[in-house]
Amino acid sequence: MGIYAEPRFLPCGDLALSVELGDDINREVNARVLALEHLIRQQRVTGVAETVPSYRSLLVYYDPLTVGWDALTKSLHTLWREARPEVLPPARTVEVPCCYGGDLGFELEAAAEKIGLPADEVVRLHAAADYYVYFVGFTPGLPYMTGMPERLFIPRLAQPRTKTPPGSVSIGGSQCCIYSVESPGGFWVLGRTPLRLYDPVSADPILLRAGDHVRFTTVTRPEYDAIAAAVADGTYTPRVTVAPLRIE
Amino acid sequence: MNLLIHDAGPQTTVQDLGRRGTLRAGVPPSGPMDREAFLLANRLVGNADDAAALECTLIGPRIELADERWVAVTGAAMPATLNGATMPRWAAFEVKPGDVLRLGPAASGVRAYVAVSGGIDTPPALGSRSTYLRGQLGGHQGRALRKGDVLPLGPPSGGAPAEVLGQFIPDYTQVPTARVVLGPQDDRFTKRGIKALFEAPYEMTPQSDRMGARLRGASIEHTRGHDIISDGVALGGLQVVGDGQPIVLLADRQSTGGYTKVGTVCSFDIGRVCQVKPGQRLSFKRVTVAEAHELLSAYRAELDHAIHWEETP
Repeated sequence: MGIYAEPRFLPCGDLALSVELGDDINREVNARVLALEHLIRQQRVTGVAETVPSYRSLLVYYDPLTVGWDALTKSLHTLWREARPEVLPPARTVEVPCCYGGDLGFELEAAAEKIGLPADEVVRLHAAADYYVYFVGFTPGLPYMTGMPERLFIPRLAQPRTKTPPGSVSIGGSQCCIYSVESPGGFWVLGRTPLRLYDPVSADPILLRAGDHVRFTTVTRPEYDAIAAAVADGTYTPRVTVAPLRIE
Repeated sequence: MNLLIHDAGPQTTVQDLGRRGTLRAGVPPSGPMDREAFLLANRLVGNADDAAALECTLIGPRIELADERWVAVTGAAMPATLNGATMPRWAAFEVKPGDVLRLGPAASGVRAYVAVSGGIDTPPALGSRSTYLRGQLGGHQGRALRKGDVLPLGPPSGGAPAEVLGQFIPDYTQVPTARVVLGPQDDRFTKRGIKALFEAPYEMTPQSDRMGARLRGASIEHTRGHDIISDGVALGGLQVVGDGQPIVLLADRQSTGGYTKVGTVCSFDIGRVCQVKPGQRLSFKRVTVAEAHELLSAYRAELDHAIHWEETP
């Protein structure tokens, strides 16, 4: 299945509609969602108040007293025809330092045992992968990522914990997740990043964006502490590189 | 130019009309749970609609102002007293330096609003003064107010005696009807499930908060499970999880979610839903998108005629 031949416009009350472009989770559908969002923002489509991308659909908030359903879906349909990955700006790659194991990665050993690999091999595989951010959501700044090596696929925790510290780098099912705020969690915590995915006191509080690539770099505990201190002082600049988008 | 909190009540927060454009980063808009009551409070004291005011939950605060201001209290029926004397609600009145305004427990409704002329002037965060409690963002230090907090006020904008006309003051003891547009995942429910939603009223449960109103009532039956590929969650989204019970997603909702949404409560009825106390009931009525847009247009026009000024400001 994958991409629909025509977009589906689904009503979400009086102020929003969902533009659904496909029926599964894949990079191609998602790139079209992000491309459609990009065009809407770039062209400042009349009456559109806000957009929220997810795996395969774009939620569009609008002012119905400015633009009606028919006029809006017509302009969205026109933009959908042009919404190809090529219209997107080059993707960013964000380096996320991660201190694996120990008290920060308190489930690394247990996860390694469950997977049946040595802990250092789990770390090596996890840190070697290229992760792609489909979208950011659920809690502030939380990235929905793909790119986990298959050998690290693992059932979620049987008993979800009630509190997971922000910054926890964790895996569950086929997914890798970085918790952005303290939350309940059902993923295995392999390590923690000293970066803040969501920093409410910062002028630019959100680290990751939809379409970003994430690379984890292994840091020692002293390095973690040093970066955490610099982040707290506001003197740390995350390493971000920009490269042309490539769809595998 | 300050507002002093003598007693905060269980959950009093600073709110303006909310954030725009942050849902794509996972940050909800926040803002008032009952937008209509909030707007009327601001308009009564001559503020712009987006000025920041206090949202009080179930029990109101005790506050003092450092200078002369116009004040209005709207929303939940929390008895208001000024230095012990009963004050009208849904009306503007003058408060002098040293006067103490107190809001008691809500006889009906859940959220009351206290607007002060000039508005609350806490620093904006991501373009808004609204408090997002879970994200520790905005308002006063990103949290609910506490005894001893001092909030800055903006320059007073003047004021005049004014009151909300009687027909615009809701009776929160009644069972309200919230209008619902079906979708985005109504095709994931049985006919019987959708019929159940509109048949009998649902009860508000105590597990409700600024994120969502958890309801209890007839089970809304799925065709094939409650999981979907995570997608965006609109204001008023009626999310139905495995037990068939609906949750109405509100101002502090998660931006995206992986559960089916049978329908969406219309924006103009959200405020009234947020005034239903735990144990009270509400019912749902189905409308089309076109009907919802007509109702929205009529609602906004009506709101512009809700206030009577005793003299021209």
